[in-house]
Amino acid sequence: MNELLLNLFYVLVFPGLLFCILMGVLLAGLDRVWVARMQRRVGPPLLQPWYDFLKCCGKETIVPRHAKKAVYFAAPVIGFVALMTISLFLPVVKGRAAFSGTADLVVILYLLTLVSVCMMVGASATGSPFAGVGLSREMVAMISYELPFVLVILAVSRVTLSTDAVTGLPLTFSLQAIMEYQEANGPLITHWSLIPAAIAMLFVIPCEVGMHPFDVSEAETEICEGTLAEYSGPPLAVYKLTHMVKMYIMTALFCVLFLGGLSTGILFFDVVIFILVCALLTFITMSLPHAVCARFKTEQVFKFYWTVVAGFAAVSLILVWLGL
Amino acid sequence: MFEKLIDNSMEKSPWIFHINAGSCNGCDIELVSVLTPRYDAERLGFKLTGTPRQADIVVVSGPITVQTRDRLVRTLAQVPEPRVVVSLGSCPRSGNVFKGSYAIDGPLEKYTHVDVSVGGCTPKPEAIMAALVQAAQILAEKRKEMRK
Amino acid sequence: MENFPILAIMTLFVCAFIVSLVGRRNVVVRNVVVTIAVTVPLVMMLCLIPTVFIDGETIVYWLGNWAPEADWAIGICLEVDALSLFFGLIVTVAVFVSGLYSFTYMNHDDSLVNYYTLFLMLSGSVLGLVLSGDLFNIFVMIEIMTFTAVALTAFRNTYEGALEGAFKYLAVGSLGSTCVLLGVAMLYSQLHTLNLAQVSALLSSQGTNPVTIAAFAFLFIGFGSKAFLFPFQPLAADAHAVAPASISLMISGVLTKCGVYGIIRLVYVLYQNYDQPIVQYLVTGFGAISMFVCVTMAFNQHNFKRLLAFHSISQVGYVITAVGLGSILGVGAGLYHAMNHTIFKGLLFLTAGAVQHQTGSLDLDRLGGLGKRMPKTCLLFLIGAASISGLPPFNGFASKWMIYQAAFLHGVTTGNFYFIFICVVALITSVLTLASFIKVAQSVFFGQLPEEYKDVEEVPLTMRLPMWVLAILCILTGLFPDFIQEKILTPAVNAVFNVMGYIDAAMGTGYAAASGVTAAGIEGIAVTGTWSPTSWLMLLFCITCAVAIVFLLASPDDKQKGLPVSSADETAQPLDAKYEPFFSGEEAVYSQVGGSDLFWGFKHNWRRYFHFMHDWHSGIVNDYALYGVVAIAFVLLFCIVLL
Repeated sequence: MNELLLNLFYVLVFPGLLFCILMGVLLAGLDRVWVARMQRRVGPPLLQPWYDFLKCCGKETIVPRHAKKAVYFAAPVIGFVALMTISLFLPVVKGRAAFSGTADLVVILYLLTLVSVCMMVGASATGSPFAGVGLSREMVAMISYELPFVLVILAVSRVTLSTDAVTGLPLTFSLQAIMEYQEANGPLITHWSLIPAAIAMLFVIPCEVGMHPFDVSEAETEICEGTLAEYSGPPLAVYKLTHMVKMYIMTALFCVLFLGGLSTGILFFDVVIFILVCALLTFITMSLPHAVCARFKTEQVFKFYWTVVAGFAAVSLILVWLGL
Repeated sequence: MFEKLIDNSMEKSPWIFHINAGSCNGCDIELVSVLTPRYDAERLGFKLTGTPRQADIVVVSGPITVQTRDRLVRTLAQVPEPRVVVSLGSCPRSGNVFKGSYAIDGPLEKYTHVDVSVGGCTPKPEAIMAALVQAAQILAEKRKEMRK
Repeated sequence: MENFPILAIMTLFVCAFIVSLVGRRNVVVRNVVVTIAVTVPLVMMLCLIPTVFIDGETIVYWLGNWAPEADWAIGICLEVDALSLFFGLIVTVAVFVSGLYSFTYMNHDDSLVNYYTLFLMLSGSVLGLVLSGDLFNIFVMIEIMTFTAVALTAFRNTYEGALEGAFKYLAVGSLGSTCVLLGVAMLYSQLHTLNLAQVSALLSSQGTNPVTIAAFAFLFIGFGSKAFLFPFQPLAADAHAVAPASISLMISGVLTKCGVYGIIRLVYVLYQNYDQPIVQYLVTGFGAISMFVCVTMAFNQHNFKRLLAFHSISQVGYVITAVGLGSILGVGAGLYHAMNHTIFKGLLFLTAGAVQHQTGSLDLDRLGGLGKRMPKTCLLFLIGAASISGLPPFNGFASKWMIYQAAFLHGVTTGNFYFIFICVVALITSVLTLASFIKVAQSVFFGQLPEEYKDVEEVPLTMRLPMWVLAILCILTGLFPDFIQEKILTPAVNAVFNVMGYIDAAMGTGYAAASGVTAAGIEGIAVTGTWSPTSWLMLLFCITCAVAIVFLLASPDDKQKGLPVSSADETAQPLDAKYEPFFSGEEAVYSQVGGSDLFWGFKHNWRRYFHFMHDWHSGIVNDYALYGVVAIAFVLLFCIVLL
């Protein structure tokens, strides 16, 4: 009974649903304030994303004539819920995940893909040609960031490869193994051959989230919000929330992969430091490029990720492979 | 449970969709200046969207030319409730200097209920800002009415 | 029990002739005979499960009771170990589904007696191939298989390209069959026997010489051509595009598996050279190239089934890659993916067939919006598409995930960067597959419904039922990977490695040890990652419930006021602008907006590659034959020089 309640607490409060949403709103709000400040504006209040979400909830939903209604409503919800489950597999504090035996790094990679796919299928189901253009761009963006992401995952897994104490089998792609390695040897970012991989991962974050210079799929001025062109009301609100939570999930994933293993020993301080690090990562990876760069073209995004970013990750993988 | 929260948020997060119905671009430029750093409408939660489906406030500028008329009507129909229509500048109100031309079919009132109207050719950004704030308040009221 | 293998094969062949004798007069009799013919082998294979999978026995049946005399296997034998039964089950399930689907699907065609006769012969030959214990028998079955498949490809010979596709398949397919024959002849000349078990034992005791190595090369490329591996993939595309969907299911789900089965037998049982790096490079190399080239080729396709054909080869590439790794996990992953491939690919081909049956078109540029007219087919397609693109929790993910692990671990244990590269290619191919299927979903089931398909109807239940069988299998095999690994894959992988048991079962106990074969079975497949679909679904369910509760609490008592939803179905006038998609205010008919080339950003950067590939797939049979010959020459040289 106690265990059940504890699990429910994990799923619903921390590090699950409630915490994710709070962090998502916080990071998204901070991002908007920071971008405004960098452009010498006052900027919206910190809770602006939350107001946007609530406002969308209160609007009418118009299902277009060509839309397939079931998919139109199901896609955002499935995407959101799938994203929520990822948070339960990330060992964010005390080096352990809420449900470590359910998924490993490759599963997380695919769950993130699932979130994008839900968005694309939903967009596709609206029957709008703008959404069609948007989803094609989203697809190319997905292909773009996936290669460096995969290389980073392989590099990290190679370094932290360990054997299971009980069965004597090697543990591949295990987040638990990554955390344990970092607890024993310090954060992976201090491992010099992994620094290029960390840089690559920093670039992967904004594209995966769909933040400004890489938000080719939602370019509001060119293709009328692209994938979201026909969404209104609560389904749109869920998409917006998914977008915010993705910011948190991706920064948390970076923390787990490269900054894990450090602990003050007190849970409260650990959580506070974790939140601060997430905010810092949001600033570096999302706000800064947002304020500095104009939106890339689709083919530029692809070229950039498959040459520069994938190059960084590949250098790291080769170095790691040579045992450095 | 959340109805109160939603009502409160309505006013804080109005998204704007801008329709140019044959405007000379003067009002459009002024609207852009409202949204850019100098006047920074984002501090009040205003944001420009690219599709009428996500809009709360529709800003119409220009004297409604015959060519844009059908498109305007169609786009206005696609905005979900609750919504507020703002007419920007003198043109959508009266036709301004174009009044009487065979090419225009105004005013905007013929096609939709206009909630807020900003006069001037072109209106000052401060006036646009005041109109938008007023529109946001009307939006919140409309939402409350809709619930009843 | 030990007669079941031969009875299963006989049923199919005998029924093929009964159909052609009686089917012309009476349709009901014909359908009954076909139903019996596709059901009985399935039941027989299922009956063999307890003996072969659970007790771990190998069933050997000597035709005409020509048992080995003085340690020489003169007669023909059927030898069913767990590997053969594994493929036998795949074959019979696919045949069963395809047969049931044909009844309604083929009702627009005539001379169906020929269709069913050829179909049953094709099924019988494939089943014969995987259950056979004799090399020459395998060649004979490959020949029957190829020729019936060619005839069935050309069955709808009024279609544009049907005869052309069949001719290409015939010409280049014969090249592959000839390779197999040549390999068999060379082995026979060296070892004076054709029994698989004895060949394996003799190869192991006598060692290899250049002739047997050449035989290895010929057999490898021969079986590879049957799996349509690179560079044979254009044939598959041409054949699939014109063949009936039920036959596409057979070609992609069953015929390619024969190639996979052949390669596994060749590398693991006959030559036992799976642990040599050169062989691993060869097999995984062919697999990885097929995987990547075919998925990129699929980007260019405008025909639904042609696109599926390229994906089919791409997935077979996964299987071959995993099998070529030579590790236990690799073989397990490969077999798992082979099974899943038959299931989800079959499902996708059947949905394509359903679309073709109802609309008469497979053109991705003309179709659209069918999700509203055929909602159930759309759902089935989405299940299949999610499976093939490896989205959790469907079966494609479970097996691909094992393949990544196998490749990564093999790379780590051998310290060879090549295998990590293979792993990266596999991961990227998976994303490209996903992208490609979103294109299909967008252009067939979503998007705008063209005027000409306004009155399309859902396919009848008789066609949906076979699809549902496959869809449910997709979900089940994805949800319970542990069960599949323990109950199905472990015996099959055990059979792959237990060469000693295979030889002893046919030649008598002790024969293997006398020839120096010591390879025994395995303990179990050690899967090292963590993925538990059921607990993931539980979490998903929990969170969904929580979200749903919040939404229910949030909405006021009267739904009308709280979350107003308006859709065109209930209230709108036919042309109410409110429900038209937003075209910047323009009317839909005048809109110039459209996403025609959905992969522009990707293809633009890879334009040289795509131009090259476009020219390379010239559509000229001479070119394809040339590629085949070059591949044969390459493999021959590679093996003779390096092995």
